[in-house]
Amino acid sequence: MQRISIDPVTRLEGHGKIEIFLDDKGNVANSYFQIPELRGFERFVVGRPIEEMPLLTNRICGVCPEAHHMAASKAADAVYKVDPPRTAKMLRELLYMAFYCTDHTTHFYALGGPDFVMGPDAPVAERNILGVIHKVGLEIGGKVIQMRKYGHTVVEMLGGRKVHPCSSIPGGMTKGITEEQRKEIEEMGKWAVDFAQFSLKLFNDIVLGNKAYVDLILGDVYTHRTYSMGLVDENNKVNFYDGKVRVVDPNGGEFVKYAPNEYMNHIAEHVEPWTYLKFPYLKNVGWKGFEDGVDSGVYMATPLSRLNASDGMATPLAQEEHDKFYKTLGGKPVHQRLATHWARLIELLYAAERWVELVADPEITSPNVHAKPTEIPTEGIGIVEAPRGTLTHHYWTDERGVVTRANLIVGTTNNYAPIQMSTNKAARSLIKDGNVNEGLLNMVEMAFRAYDPCFGCATHSLPGQMPLEITIRDADGNPLEVVKQFC
Amino acid sequence: MKTIVVGLGNPILGDDGVGWKVADEVLKQLPPDSQVDVEYLSLGGLALMEHLIGYHRAILIDAFASEDEPGAILILKLGDLPNYSAFHTTSSHDTSLQNAVELGRSMGAQLPDDIEIIGIATRRVYDFGEELSRPVADAVPFAARIVIDLLKQVTKHKEEYQPQG
Repeated sequence: MQRISIDPVTRLEGHGKIEIFLDDKGNVANSYFQIPELRGFERFVVGRPIEEMPLLTNRICGVCPEAHHMAASKAADAVYKVDPPRTAKMLRELLYMAFYCTDHTTHFYALGGPDFVMGPDAPVAERNILGVIHKVGLEIGGKVIQMRKYGHTVVEMLGGRKVHPCSSIPGGMTKGITEEQRKEIEEMGKWAVDFAQFSLKLFNDIVLGNKAYVDLILGDVYTHRTYSMGLVDENNKVNFYDGKVRVVDPNGGEFVKYAPNEYMNHIAEHVEPWTYLKFPYLKNVGWKGFEDGVDSGVYMATPLSRLNASDGMATPLAQEEHDKFYKTLGGKPVHQRLATHWARLIELLYAAERWVELVADPEITSPNVHAKPTEIPTEGIGIVEAPRGTLTHHYWTDERGVVTRANLIVGTTNNYAPIQMSTNKAARSLIKDGNVNEGLLNMVEMAFRAYDPCFGCATHSLPGQMPLEITIRDADGNPLEVVKQFC
Repeated sequence: MKTIVVGLGNPILGDDGVGWKVADEVLKQLPPDSQVDVEYLSLGGLALMEHLIGYHRAILIDAFASEDEPGAILILKLGDLPNYSAFHTTSSHDTSLQNAVELGRSMGAQLPDDIEIIGIATRRVYDFGEELSRPVADAVPFAARIVIDLLKQVTKHKEEYQPQG
């Protein structure tokens, strides 16, 4: 059974755990990025009505409840074979764009940003959002807070609640928006576009203007040549809410493009004995281990992979940034994983532009926001692009619409194999002849932070931290050193 | 003087939902026209801080994964908690509440001077379920009583707790 981790959950330790084994010469023989806590959410939802899935599954994760709300809603549409009205789809996507702007902003300024803005070698006490704001100025901090506020406001207006929205139901939405609300959302969207452009300029000035950072991005330590996955529209442009899943090979050629209901033909899961989480891979390539290259079925599903898997962005300003991105980094596809931070900002701009585009559509205030399901429920699959990767919800129900079976492949799960590869490579590059550099934790953090993984976020536990523990062992398995970031 | 009581947790993860249950009890015991706001959230860090903007006092109720006897109640100030993020960037998707509050204040946001935390000890926060384990459930009325007492004890807030007129 597919198993996934659940957030929010109260916990004080024991999430990400890396075991590094040294050979007799003190070099890294192997390392394992383990996910020790797991839940069987698919079992929990069995016996509950399909209508509850958009509400229940958004409790899987305190970071991206909107993504689960959308994927479950789309799956519920499919279970009832009902096609929501165009306005309902646009309202869902509009809510989703506001969520994306909030999420990507938080990641850049609070999480990924400190590595670059403060520098990878900065004192650890300064590598956080406070350090960033102190360095770049309070005015920018105010913009970050404002962006988050606008995102929350739109999610509340469309979703019924600021977090864990409840308005998307099988067949559409529970409510529409008024012209007054539309104008308010449009103004906030225009501000979001300006903010996204400002953020890209900041990245350009601070990161791209610093040769050391560019060298770090382009260096081999954080590079893996895997397949790339992402949802695309009919023109092969990036789309977060709807479309087909496109996968390109490490050379950039289209490997497959599949509809959501075909996912089982293309994705399989590999099991390793040292972790609960499974490793999804491309079924028609096969599992060849934690290897780069065309012959290995390992793929990534991230902002970087979404750009790689597409032919471009569907909005004009984001398309310009897309072109600059690939021109600067040497063409498509890009495999340098730290470039994901740049790709995320291009997605931020796309989400903001799409927000304005949707809210300007004359049909957005139509009261026709729900199509009543009339078919007998059976089985359905919903796919969206969560900020952390392609999110698939698959439900089977009886004729009453009661869930009899569920399968969820969450964003981070897609990336487990590449994260394992990246952390392993960071460890190998740093530990030589038994000498463990104190910068190990920072380098490993940077390796997995680019993927924006979602298994370690104690979203509401007090005090709240990312508990990461690294145990370095000798060839016989005896612990030599334990590095923790939470004590 | 605005006061907010926040039940924190995930209502489908067993004892992790105890903050919500205590908030329920507090809400029941507040006078109908009390001006104390009660919220139910599954948030931390920046997002939790944003919900506290505009308030002068906040009481947070949450499960604590702890070696204490399940059901034990801890009463803390925000400053009593270690701020782990002083060492590294914190969670993979957020920052600590202490950092978030400091950030909010530096941005000029009105945030509570006084943030109190009621923790209920448990070792069972990974099991699915909408019910609490027995010792944690037994602690709910006591924790709610503590919150009510805290609201009453601060004289300057008393008028907000008591019925108007």
